[in-house]
Amino acid sequence: MANALGIIAASGTHIKVEGLQQYRPIGAFSFLGRYRVIDFPISNMSNSDIDHIQVYIRNKPRSLVEHLGTGRHYNINSKRGKLQILFSQNSSENDVYNTDIAAYYENIEIIQRSHQPYVVIAPSYMVYAENYDALLQTHIESEADITLLYHTVDNAKDAFLNCDVLNLNRQKGVESIEKNRGSAKNRNIFMDTYIMKKDLFVDLILKARKMSSMITLPQIVNASCSELDIRGVSHKGYFATITDFKSYFDANMSLIDLKNAQNLFNYEWPIYTRTNDSCPTQYFASADVKNSVISNGCLIEGSVENSVIGRGCQVKKGAVIKNCVVLANTVIGEDVHVENQVIDKWAQITREREIVAENDHPGYIRRDDIL
Amino acid sequence: MKQNNMLAMILAGGRGSRLHELTNKVAKPAVSYGGKYRIVDFPLSNCANSGIDIVGVLTQYESVLLNSYVAAGGRWGLDARESGVFVLPPREKADADLDVYRGTADAISQNIDFIDKYAPEYVLILSGDHIYKMNYAKMLAYHKEMNADATIAVIEVPMKEASRFGIMNTDEEGHIVEFEEKPEHPKSNLASMGIYIFNWKLLRKMLLADMKDADSHHDFGKDIIPTLLADQKTLVAYKYQGYWKDVGTIDSLWEANMDLLNRSNELDLNDPTWKIYTEDIPALPQYIGPNANIDKAFITQGCVIEGEIKNSVLFTGARVGKGAKIIDSVLMPGVIVEDGAVVQRALVAENITIGAGAVVGSADSEHIELVSKRVKGVE
Repeated sequence: MANALGIIAASGTHIKVEGLQQYRPIGAFSFLGRYRVIDFPISNMSNSDIDHIQVYIRNKPRSLVEHLGTGRHYNINSKRGKLQILFSQNSSENDVYNTDIAAYYENIEIIQRSHQPYVVIAPSYMVYAENYDALLQTHIESEADITLLYHTVDNAKDAFLNCDVLNLNRQKGVESIEKNRGSAKNRNIFMDTYIMKKDLFVDLILKARKMSSMITLPQIVNASCSELDIRGVSHKGYFATITDFKSYFDANMSLIDLKNAQNLFNYEWPIYTRTNDSCPTQYFASADVKNSVISNGCLIEGSVENSVIGRGCQVKKGAVIKNCVVLANTVIGEDVHVENQVIDKWAQITREREIVAENDHPGYIRRDDIL
Repeated sequence: MKQNNMLAMILAGGRGSRLHELTNKVAKPAVSYGGKYRIVDFPLSNCANSGIDIVGVLTQYESVLLNSYVAAGGRWGLDARESGVFVLPPREKADADLDVYRGTADAISQNIDFIDKYAPEYVLILSGDHIYKMNYAKMLAYHKEMNADATIAVIEVPMKEASRFGIMNTDEEGHIVEFEEKPEHPKSNLASMGIYIFNWKLLRKMLLADMKDADSHHDFGKDIIPTLLADQKTLVAYKYQGYWKDVGTIDSLWEANMDLLNRSNELDLNDPTWKIYTEDIPALPQYIGPNANIDKAFITQGCVIEGEIKNSVLFTGARVGKGAKIIDSVLMPGVIVEDGAVVQRALVAENITIGAGAVVGSADSEHIELVSKRVKGVE
């Protein structure tokens, strides 16, 4: 059992996902039809026997709070476990003050009062499966001060541009953390996942506050690289970041391939989510569905190709959906053709007959919109 | 009990032996239906949606799975304070030996103490093995309006089939004047659905008398209802309109699943105002492969479809391999149909694998084939 406090971090102010994020934080984004992005870090923690979890929310809390509830659906023990939803006061004069450190500092007594000697900090805007219990064991055995999780990629020139990278020495010691500026293909993308003693975490927060009000956790860890033993551990398996609109679209699309999905989903490592008790999906005689991921509660009469369809969607006769991420409860009307779009919840497309964007430049249809 | 002073008792002890291997290890109410449900989800969800807080489930035959399944009342929202689902198998008591439930009425009689604890004004008796959606609060309102001692829900059945049912003969105002169990020459086509509302005080008295009656079958249809009529109590028929199925055989279970494929099926599981709740199993959404072909189907999460599906219902986690064909069939949870296999007019039981290239069922069979053992692939 992982004797650690789980902390799920809000996305930093530098991360902007056009469209979707104006309605909810990234953790509450619908993902692969039936999930929300935050289901992944919480399920990872729950499966790692971390049963005290703090979720930090910076803004637009409604949908996330509703989704998380008591945390019972994440298999968090209802007596011994605890899911805390923590808000931080937004500084209205300038968003640069709204750092992760500011949020932790505001709740520092709650962090200090927890009984666990270690903290595991994971982002609410990345999708991966990881056993934090095993990672904590690795951390303890290595006697390092801080362990950071990273993923080696070969496309850092044009992807992961909003992420940090770890510069490692041969012994996997972290020499520095810097922004990925797209200058090299092969990079170790930092997964914004940390393991350290809780006391050290508290020290870092206090130290950061003394340095600058704008400093962030990766910055203070970077500044501590010379005096602390900080090590990287490589992550294997599926990894996606939701750090801009394109990466959201691409992450959904990549999981239509069952082989990729099997790198993320594993029978032994369930990803929990809140059920909404929708019935199975009904496919009518005129339906034509290929290479797609479909959620429950849909009524499908048209054709769907290479797309992710959320819960409770209606695809009417003659409609064509191609390369789209369709969120819950949308209606795609008769003979409507949509291609390369992210269609947000409750949108209804019945008048406009053709909404097509270019490959690699997906479009966005607003929530509740009528087109 | 806060909501409407009515407590529900679900009779869920029956085996359903005409479902053959499907009920070898589980009672009929626990049999899977409709992609993601078990039959007992219907009365339980109806109770929850009708504002009933306390539900007793009377179990007997192979009750291990059923007991643990219904005990998680949270699945149906029946877990608030002063609410709950209570599993009631036969038990040993200080003043009585352990005895099986001898009949439907006896199952209630043996739990008088349970019902008394909540002191309800009304008791609703239900079957755990019927598929339908019904607002019991409306039935209770009718029961009160008619000033009835007992109200029995009835459904109109085709006259030529009426002799298969318990038939209620009523007067113009809806009062039941006669009850005939499977009459040879039925006088009406109002069939009892096995759904009763009783004033608890009266029922309690009747049950205590029935327990002592050595000649009684201890059955609602055979004993309690006829006695009430003989005693000139006010019995009324509450006409239900809508989908109602008692799935007694493999053919009828298959048929009830096939009903879901109709565009305007009366059961309408997609109605957001009357959801049917069930166990929440972590599973991926449905994966429809690049070469899949789906033509009329009802498919749920966890399914992976790479072959061809025609006119079929697929339950949680069913997998259909490349080139396989599923036609007019029902695949229960966890069924695997390997590449190139053909399943036609069949009902494949839970977790059964149909090997590559195998063929089961046939297009012109009289009955639906039940596949309850692994089928080997062909080379």
